[in-house]
Amino acid sequence: MTDVAERDALQLEERPARRRRWIRYLMADYKAAAALVVLSILLVSAILAPLIAPYDPNDMAFMMMGGPSWEHPLGTDDLGRDLLSRLIYGTRISLFVGISTVAVALVIGVGLGVMAGYFGGFIDTVIMRYVDLQWAFPNFIIAVYLVAVFGTGLLNVIVAVSLAFVDDFARVARSMVLTIKEEQYVAAARTLGASHNRIMWRHILPNTMAPIIVQGTVSISYAILAEAGLSFLGLGVEADTPTWGLILSDARSFISRAWWLGVFPGLFIMITVLSINFLGDAMRDLMDVREFKERH
Amino acid sequence: MSGYLVRRFLGAIVVMWAVATLVFFMLRAIPGDPLAAILFDVGDAQAIADLKTKLGLDQPVYVQYVKWFGLVLQGDLGNSIYGSRIEVSRIVMEALPRTLSLAGISFVIAIAIAVPAGLISALRKHSALDHTVTVIAFLGLSMPDFWLGIMLIIVFAANLHWLPAIGYAPLSDGFWPWLSHLILPAIAVGTPFAAIIARMIRSSMLEVLKSDYINVARAKGLLHWRIIFVHAFPNALIPVVTVLGIAVALLMAGAVVVENVFAIKGLGRVLIEGILNRDYPVVQGAILAVSAIFVFANLLVDVLYTVIDPRIHYD
Amino acid sequence: MPNSNAPENARLTASMLRDYEEANDFDPRDPMVGLNRHDFSGPRLERRTVLRLLAAGGVLTAAHLMPSALRPARAAEGGTLRAGWAGVGEFRTLDPAQINQVLLFQISSNVFGGLTHIDPLLVAQGDLATDWSANADGTEYVFNLREGVTFQNGDPFTADDVIFTYQRSKDPDKSIHSRVVSNIKDIEKLGDHKIKIVLGAPQASLLVKTLERSSGRAMTIVSRGALEAMGPQQYGLTPVGTGPFRVTEHLLGQAITLERFDNYYDPERPKLDKITIQPIIDPEPLAAAIEAGDIQIIGGNPPAPELIDRFEDNPEISVSTVPGPGFQSLFMNPWRDPFKVTDFNKPMDELMKDPGFMVRLAIAKAIDRDRYIERAQFGRGVPAYGTINEAMGFYFDPSIAEVSNQKYDLEEAKRLLAAAGYPDGEGFPTLKVIHTPATRRDVLVIKNILKTGLGIDIDLDTKDFPVLIDQFDKMDWDLCRLGSGGDFDPDDGLVDWMQTASKFNGRTRDKAVHPFGFFSEAEVDKLIDEERTTADLDQRKALVQKANRLTSDKVACAFIFHPVDNLVYRKEVFFPDESRIPGLVDMDRVQVA
Repeated sequence: MTDVAERDALQLEERPARRRRWIRYLMADYKAAAALVVLSILLVSAILAPLIAPYDPNDMAFMMMGGPSWEHPLGTDDLGRDLLSRLIYGTRISLFVGISTVAVALVIGVGLGVMAGYFGGFIDTVIMRYVDLQWAFPNFIIAVYLVAVFGTGLLNVIVAVSLAFVDDFARVARSMVLTIKEEQYVAAARTLGASHNRIMWRHILPNTMAPIIVQGTVSISYAILAEAGLSFLGLGVEADTPTWGLILSDARSFISRAWWLGVFPGLFIMITVLSINFLGDAMRDLMDVREFKERH
Repeated sequence: MSGYLVRRFLGAIVVMWAVATLVFFMLRAIPGDPLAAILFDVGDAQAIADLKTKLGLDQPVYVQYVKWFGLVLQGDLGNSIYGSRIEVSRIVMEALPRTLSLAGISFVIAIAIAVPAGLISALRKHSALDHTVTVIAFLGLSMPDFWLGIMLIIVFAANLHWLPAIGYAPLSDGFWPWLSHLILPAIAVGTPFAAIIARMIRSSMLEVLKSDYINVARAKGLLHWRIIFVHAFPNALIPVVTVLGIAVALLMAGAVVVENVFAIKGLGRVLIEGILNRDYPVVQGAILAVSAIFVFANLLVDVLYTVIDPRIHYD
Repeated sequence: MPNSNAPENARLTASMLRDYEEANDFDPRDPMVGLNRHDFSGPRLERRTVLRLLAAGGVLTAAHLMPSALRPARAAEGGTLRAGWAGVGEFRTLDPAQINQVLLFQISSNVFGGLTHIDPLLVAQGDLATDWSANADGTEYVFNLREGVTFQNGDPFTADDVIFTYQRSKDPDKSIHSRVVSNIKDIEKLGDHKIKIVLGAPQASLLVKTLERSSGRAMTIVSRGALEAMGPQQYGLTPVGTGPFRVTEHLLGQAITLERFDNYYDPERPKLDKITIQPIIDPEPLAAAIEAGDIQIIGGNPPAPELIDRFEDNPEISVSTVPGPGFQSLFMNPWRDPFKVTDFNKPMDELMKDPGFMVRLAIAKAIDRDRYIERAQFGRGVPAYGTINEAMGFYFDPSIAEVSNQKYDLEEAKRLLAAAGYPDGEGFPTLKVIHTPATRRDVLVIKNILKTGLGIDIDLDTKDFPVLIDQFDKMDWDLCRLGSGGDFDPDDGLVDWMQTASKFNGRTRDKAVHPFGFFSEAEVDKLIDEERTTADLDQRKALVQKANRLTSDKVACAFIFHPVDNLVYRKEVFFPDESRIPGLVDMDRVQVA
């Protein structure tokens, strides 16, 4: 771990240069480049969903389980709704679920991890006991359990999945802080009389970001998959919210008669998660972050 | 070493106790009344109240907790609220072999895929083969496991009739019936895990191949395959072992969903049904079992770590 | 016939046509001509009688005459049947005293006996009772019990077992059905094989409901010896009864194995040697399993309607469809705006001036049941306008579809909504409809129908069953999508749901805040009290239909549809129509090729 921290510390000086190289580096890796393009398209279609989607995603005006055609490029679903429109709107919600989940988990987890690592002692013990407790459980099972407590629904799913991911971020942040805290520039800040808050959030936090960004990127894909899994178990978002996970799990009894219902939502999820993973992988190489413990 | 083990063991027990306690109180916070559901088509308000008293669910939560904990210490996990009120320990013990079988076969399948894939892509770094393996590995990571499960059923059970679509056969029914029921679900559970392990092996192998002692071995003129399999690969496995703890988590989480697809009544299914039905004692028992597996598997991994890597000592 | 999917178009064979004609062979002005009191006493109602009763009700359809005539028996005796039970992960109990699901008593019906058992027309036939007689006011019944019957553990079946079962069911500590037998005041032993049942009040549903071997549950005869030997928990897994099959293996969450009980009282039955019953939660694995032949017949919860077309298209699979016993509704909380009605006891024309009632009626009239059934149920269901369903044959009133206030009429619904102050749905609050995960598709369709028809929006609020029931019982909801299955007697709908004191009618509500639950109407209460104690079938039928009509007109809820009962099995299975009882899967006459 030390060499990573050293390199991060060195990066302080050469940061602007690195930032410029960043995009160039990613674009040089053709997998990452393709991933960036795919994710950009998805992001744009999510934002512009009402303009792009050919129909109202909830309108049951069409033939039930109609195959792909000119009017409905991806076919219609079991209730006679246009699948393409539903998937485009689904992009919106699924990406929102993925990103907001990770944002919440990141803020809470990194906050806890940085505090634990920086203060050590009692605070560290309390926080890490909790994190260990949560670590004792697969994230997905925690999410299942939390949804059962909070109830189903978009907001509850986001809260449940993000709380389930908190321990990952806390661990990564803490271990980074532990190595950075002893660095000279931190000691220097301390002797100059900077407050704890300032040291933690201004000096230490930015230098923990590389592995956290990687962890965050990868976690977005886990969040999207977790939402799909929860929907499959009947613990997902509201019944009339089109997310990819819900569209796919709703399709489960129609797949063998209407292949497009199983294949297209599955492809949307797969391509998105794949792109995020490629991107995360490239970023990991770029930032030279070792593979951190990752799990569902 | 033994002092460390004792401390870790006690720590594991404390974690399990804390989890069980947390779950006990949070479970009571879940809205919903299991008794109203049980008596839905047969009882009146009085019957519901009577049953509540009989099951002790009318008492304050802390009283219920003390009673429950006292019984757990005696090895009694209580009884299901539903049906014939079967002992939770029995439900858990019947589910356990199913989940462990599924996790075991998944693990075997995952390793069988991951080791050659990881080695190939490390040895042929940046070749077309490496990229192919990488893309396939990431594809495996990117598929929702239930979707993969359904696809496998459609292809291999419904259309090709190679393997049974659903269910579980205990080992006592014979080896093949047992195995044949587990292959499809195990692929669904094991695929994302195989992808992770393959990636781990690749990067760890690359690191080892760069290291000094391999260079020394090369300089000494040792055979290529000997360097790889005798010197590099065992060392490359060391970091991989750390993820075995995570493997248990992955396999358990995968099992929760996949057991549902394949109608296997393992711990994951017990847990989900317990939650959906608000069958408190069953959820508590299942959580206790799941966390026990997870905590002790991690403990085992740590011990294993010292065995395979003599550089690590615990004191 | 409003029934969009009963197999009216099925080809009738000559013998079926004969049955049909004979059944209609009476003076149409007086349907009871040719039937006398004698026809209604035990041990069984003649098929001819029943068909006449059905014809009198105008509901005799080809479905009632169907499958065996079309499907010659060619199967051999013996063999193993592999069954799959849909929508269930484990069989929690087979102890009748604890059974609270149809899918469980479908199994127990193959393991246990009862005094009576319903037949495909939902008429009670003797099972462990050979015959019976009632006193004039219908408060005392004397039953002759079948002799030479033994339990699967070898114990003989006698009057003592009936009394033991009754005592056990009466005890709320041992049984969840104590309320079901509350009208039985006493069971006297008149001999080893003769008993007298004394009722608190006459009860029309006694034979079809209370004493019925499977759906009744309270008087499903249990084995005292086995219960004492193995304890109630093990008895719940591997119970002992007098039925045609005995449970030989049952691990929780795995298949149940039933084997032929050699000393079953009828030497002709069962035909099979062995049955395995596998619980299967999800529809896709279920479908794959029967298509691959892993299972040969589907029981349990009704298989998802979307699968039925797929099965019908499969040349290896048969689907037998008959009207199902149940109703499904959209309930509207009368204590909440905008459908608030605090008094249903006004004459119709006055009720029609109440804005709350106008909204209720508008919603009920706006639900295009045909479109709903087409989209939500894949065309499989019967539009509902009351709790009384077509499976009940004799009691069902087919004209209700035309005469009910709830008849689909979008223009009138819009007018009512406007008159209530919400023209084109303007200003109508967005309400929440609570529903279980299983009815999600249904509610999406209802939402769509109300949105396109009336311009009103509802939000879906999916709840697990225990939460939904808790809220429903407390009257803590705006709209609730709920219904009932396994209703074999009119009382299952009327007594249990539609009276002020009905058990589902706001069971745990705060009575100070909500004097009644979702519905309360004095005349309905009176009619139901009367019908439930009326032994004369014809009189009872009139009372039932009148009560049913009132609950429909006064919008106790928006009735949506009656499910149909689809039995799915592979072609190698022979399922005779004597066993084709809606909602049940009796396998004692089933054979496999």
